[in-house]
Amino acid sequence: MFEVEVIIKNKAGLHTRPAAQLVKTAAKFKSDFYIYKDGYEINGKSIIGVMTLAAEQGAKLNLRFDGVDQKDAAKAVCELFDRGFDEA
Amino acid sequence: MKLEVKETRKKSITVGYLYESNKERLALTLLNGETGFEKEIIDKNFHRPGLPLAGYVDLFSYNRVQIFGNTEVKYLRHLSLEDRIKSFKRIIEFDIPCIVVTSNNVLGDELVQLATEKKIAVMQTSLETTKFIYFLSDFLDDQFSVQAAVHGSFVDVYGIGVLLMGRSGIGKSEIALDLVERGHRLVADDVVMITRKGEGILMGAGSDIVKHFMEIRGLGLIDVRSMFGIRAIRFQKRVEVVIELTDWNPDEEYTRTGLDTEGIEIVGVELLHVKLPIFPGKNVTVICEVIAMNYLLKHYGYDAAKEFAKRLEAVIDEKSKRIGDRAINYFEHDFE
Repeated sequence: MFEVEVIIKNKAGLHTRPAAQLVKTAAKFKSDFYIYKDGYEINGKSIIGVMTLAAEQGAKLNLRFDGVDQKDAAKAVCELFDRGFDEA
Repeated sequence: MKLEVKETRKKSITVGYLYESNKERLALTLLNGETGFEKEIIDKNFHRPGLPLAGYVDLFSYNRVQIFGNTEVKYLRHLSLEDRIKSFKRIIEFDIPCIVVTSNNVLGDELVQLATEKKIAVMQTSLETTKFIYFLSDFLDDQFSVQAAVHGSFVDVYGIGVLLMGRSGIGKSEIALDLVERGHRLVADDVVMITRKGEGILMGAGSDIVKHFMEIRGLGLIDVRSMFGIRAIRFQKRVEVVIELTDWNPDEEYTRTGLDTEGIEIVGVELLHVKLPIFPGKNVTVICEVIAMNYLLKHYGYDAAKEFAKRLEAVIDEKSKRIGDRAINYFEHDFE
């Protein structure tokens, strides 16, 4: 298991496009991927789940990866957050 | 078996939140404005402070909502003003969250003034104590209940709350959609918010944002409500059966009779658990319906597996007494 905390950087938050980008990236890996926010943990490979979070700019998310390629998955996903999903 | 989920429970609510969410339902009026609105309520129980008012403050549950019913108010009124203030001061020395006076009873300006000094909200309701307590307990129970987000699809099948679970991409949403097509009602897809109500009851609902939206792989997001209409959805439902969809695994053992079922525990509640291996060509939707109907039958006192076992035992018992019987006897001269 590998855990990491990220912060939403882009202004519009985790809206539809970034959410889709996030689940697509996560789906490339075998590891399970969960996002924890405000007491709820949702499956990070589910677009509906990610959109349920309605994460705004500045929101903190705890990511949890579990599986054979957890490190690679974490790296790819964290990169997305670092880049602010290529948005301002 | 236990399902590992992150549980969450509110640690506190503010007095202001209690007022804002209930001012109509509980018919509340503020007697000292928004005093003490930021105070926190951390207990789902309430307290009627008869004994503390009378002077016994050991074991005083001061951190609960304090309810002044007829008894408390009449007791205070029968005291002289001096004693009344003394008695009231005794309980507001404690850090109590708020006071509610029921049945439109009046506390008196002196006492309200004392409460204001201690930053304690005093509210009045026109409801009788028993009715008020009933509504308040309901609200606080809900606020402090355990919740969890579960990954799965949740459908009402013949009135039975069926939670479909299984790995990402196994086809939960597709089965849910198929069930909706056959006239059943979708509660939530992908993210099911589970709340524990009382002992042994789980309620499931969709999250506020994604209510009745669904993702179908290769198609994207669809809105079940606008597509299938109001008959196809439901806002909440008790969770009763968990169907776990698994890839067919020849090494795993599946129940063959239905007598040896194992439950699944979700946030402390044991539910019926059906492990359903799936493979192409298998009509899972119909099986889901059958599972729901079987559950209904059991609920009404008929357990097919047990009935069959009973019948078998009776036949064996009979056979041991007779010799030369066949497995079936045809009607004589009936060749249809």
